[in-house]
Amino acid sequence: MALTGSIREFFDETGSVARFTGRFFSTGMKPRFEIKELLSQCYIIGYKSLPLVALTGFIMGLVLTMQLRPSLVDYGVESQLPVMVGIAIVREIGPVITALIFAGKIASSIGAELGSMKVTEQIDAMEVSGTNPFKYLVATRVLATTLMLPVLTMMGDAISLFGAYIGVNIRSVTSFHLFFTQVFHSLSFGDFSPAFIKTFFFGFAVGMIGCYKGYNSSKGTRGVGNSANSAVVLASVLIFIIDLLAVQLTDLLGLN
Amino acid sequence: MANQGGNNIKLGVFVLAGLFVLILSFYMIGKNHNLFGSDFRIKARFSNLNGLMEGNNVLFAGIQAGTVKSIELINDTTIEVTLLIDNKVRSYIHKNAVAAIGTEGLMGNKIVNILPSKTISPKVEEGDLLAAQKMVNTDEMLQTLSKTNNNIAIISDAIKGTVLRINSSALLDLLNDKSIGVSLKSSLKNINKATANANEITYGLNNMVTQIKKGKGGAGVLLSDTAFAGNLQDAVLKIKLASGNANKLTLQLNSLVGNLNQELIHGKGPLNTLLRDSVMANNLKGSMDNIQKGTDGFNQNMEALKHNFLFRGYFKNLEKAQKKKNAVSQ
Amino acid sequence: MATATNTVSKDVPDNSKDSPVIVVEHVYKQFGSNLVLRDFNLVVNKEENVVVLGKSGSGKSVLIKCIIGLLKPDSGNIMVFGENVSELNHDDLDKIRTKIGFLFQGNALYDSMTVRENLEFPLRRHWIGYSQKQVDALVIEALENVGLAHTVNMMPEELSGGMLKRVALARTMILKPDVILYDEPTTGLDPVTAREIDNLIIKLQKKYHTSSIIITHDMHCVKNTADRVALLLDGKCYSEGKYEDFENSTDKNIKQFFE
Repeated sequence: MALTGSIREFFDETGSVARFTGRFFSTGMKPRFEIKELLSQCYIIGYKSLPLVALTGFIMGLVLTMQLRPSLVDYGVESQLPVMVGIAIVREIGPVITALIFAGKIASSIGAELGSMKVTEQIDAMEVSGTNPFKYLVATRVLATTLMLPVLTMMGDAISLFGAYIGVNIRSVTSFHLFFTQVFHSLSFGDFSPAFIKTFFFGFAVGMIGCYKGYNSSKGTRGVGNSANSAVVLASVLIFIIDLLAVQLTDLLGLN
Repeated sequence: MANQGGNNIKLGVFVLAGLFVLILSFYMIGKNHNLFGSDFRIKARFSNLNGLMEGNNVLFAGIQAGTVKSIELINDTTIEVTLLIDNKVRSYIHKNAVAAIGTEGLMGNKIVNILPSKTISPKVEEGDLLAAQKMVNTDEMLQTLSKTNNNIAIISDAIKGTVLRINSSALLDLLNDKSIGVSLKSSLKNINKATANANEITYGLNNMVTQIKKGKGGAGVLLSDTAFAGNLQDAVLKIKLASGNANKLTLQLNSLVGNLNQELIHGKGPLNTLLRDSVMANNLKGSMDNIQKGTDGFNQNMEALKHNFLFRGYFKNLEKAQKKKNAVSQ
Repeated sequence: MATATNTVSKDVPDNSKDSPVIVVEHVYKQFGSNLVLRDFNLVVNKEENVVVLGKSGSGKSVLIKCIIGLLKPDSGNIMVFGENVSELNHDDLDKIRTKIGFLFQGNALYDSMTVRENLEFPLRRHWIGYSQKQVDALVIEALENVGLAHTVNMMPEELSGGMLKRVALARTMILKPDVILYDEPTTGLDPVTAREIDNLIIKLQKKYHTSSIIITHDMHCVKNTADRVALLLDGKCYSEGKYEDFENSTDKNIKQFFE
């Protein structure tokens, strides 16, 4: 009984998320766009996340390089280190790590912000003030995350590669030029494009889940906390699921 | 409001920086894959591509010149490869250039090398078919090595048989010809050398096989294929066998020469009569020549093995160690 | 029923009787299995303060949220300025809403914005097209009405509870609505501040000639502000009349509010 209950709940939740997403396209994408609010959200969501993404990206590139080196030395292909690291970062590590960090920072903040706005009736107040809160709050945030995560990922990748360059130079010496020639020599559009395109979906998922959880927050401080927490969890899980779909899709399309 | 404007500027810088990285990476990747430059196509036909794939690089005289555009199976022994070549190198490729499939480094990707020819020929044109060169790969090389070893074993068997026959026939007593002794001596020297070489190689290969088993070193990776290692060990055993045979042979020849010398000095022996037959003497001479040729060939094989890039490093190390040892003993 | 027991004192009797501002007819609203409103009826005339009295959880807030279109009744009609709110599309609803003010129980000030931005929000949002000068003048006027002109550049978190309520009232009034819906305006305030708010409500009502529905269970507030009182009980309009009628009533259900 409890099992069927939780299964029902799961389907119910899935249905509501889907409906919420549908509402984003039907309501949120209609004119009278909230350009100013969109820009301000882009600033908050994109620009203000850059230091965090840069830090984690840098460390990731550095650590990955240092972790890979011993194995490559064993196989006698230490010279391939930039290639390995470059492909790992551009194809997978960069987009996914950035998206996860992004989810941790943004999904929770959106979930908490909209949650507390919901609880303190600010969303109702907007509605009464002649603003469609869905457009003003949800559409702008979802668009901002969708547009900003790819930009952040690009920057994160670049910084990660720089971290990797330093990682290579800890134990051996390679020139900046050689490093980047090696990295880009091994990369093709098949490596780069799917990784770049999937970040849009990651961003969309983070924004959508954050807004959904906040918008449907239950009353009280606990409700707001729960919505922030479950937004991060669900967004992170969704990132992995989208990643799985993306890799299979690119495989089917022969882009791998 | 002013704050809003400042934020917008920051956002603008941020987005532009992201776009810049994006465009830069597109350009960097594109540069390697000829997506933005102008180019033309030429073709080459191979019987075996050895794992060449679409998108692999094409080098002209070692310079990045383009990529493999497409691979098409024409019949069971012919595969046509279309190469996308950068227009910049177009004027340097001539119609008689040769295309060969090679490897980037020891274990890297396959590449197509376009090798310029020394003779004069008109410049290449769109869609031209280049001549293809069969490539040497390490697998084939080692197979040849194995064959060589077999041949050495057969040769040493044959030498052994000959020597036994010579010994048992005791015809040698009648050989007054000094030249035979001399050539025997030089044969002996050669065999000695060959044996030493064979020993060295055997020792080396043995070592290498143990290293390979442990999976160490560049060649170790290459040879971590156990079947392959087995092959190599086989080969080593055969070389060992051959060198053992050669050793025996040396001893026998040594005693033989000793006998011969004595008999020549003392000028006696019961078998003078038999070897009056000049035909027999000539035959024997021929045999000796063959032995010499055989041992020379063996020597050459060993030298070749020494110089093979796979083993070069090892032998160099060995030499160094030898030198060190010498230095220490002195 | 509502008109039958109508014993309200009016400032402009003839005019208001002919043009009720809000008419609530036979409204039903159910949440899950909880039937909150059952055949509720109420009429609000022009420039009249109607207090809807009820225990917590009796559906008072649901009622005014239905009136402003935040919730939809399951059945029944809610006519505001002669238009059926539950059948309007979003744009028409927005137009109606410029004429209705709503004071939220928790103030619902946007905590990420300054007081000025909070007040500007409805002005800009209704796409009326005021100039910056007009907007500034309206903001200052609204804040002066509640005596808080000096807080214009403060953030909501810097203000006390009573000040927040007054800022929220200023925001509600800024579009000069014809009808204001108050959702428990004095809840959570100390008695002195609560009386200040009561007086402010009366003052502004007189100044801008608005009609209002005030939802509360605070009898002092009822006494100060009500032209007419309606008691919401079990989803129905249990009783309607003047404050004095209620005070003198012997009905057990009415008496409990005065204890």
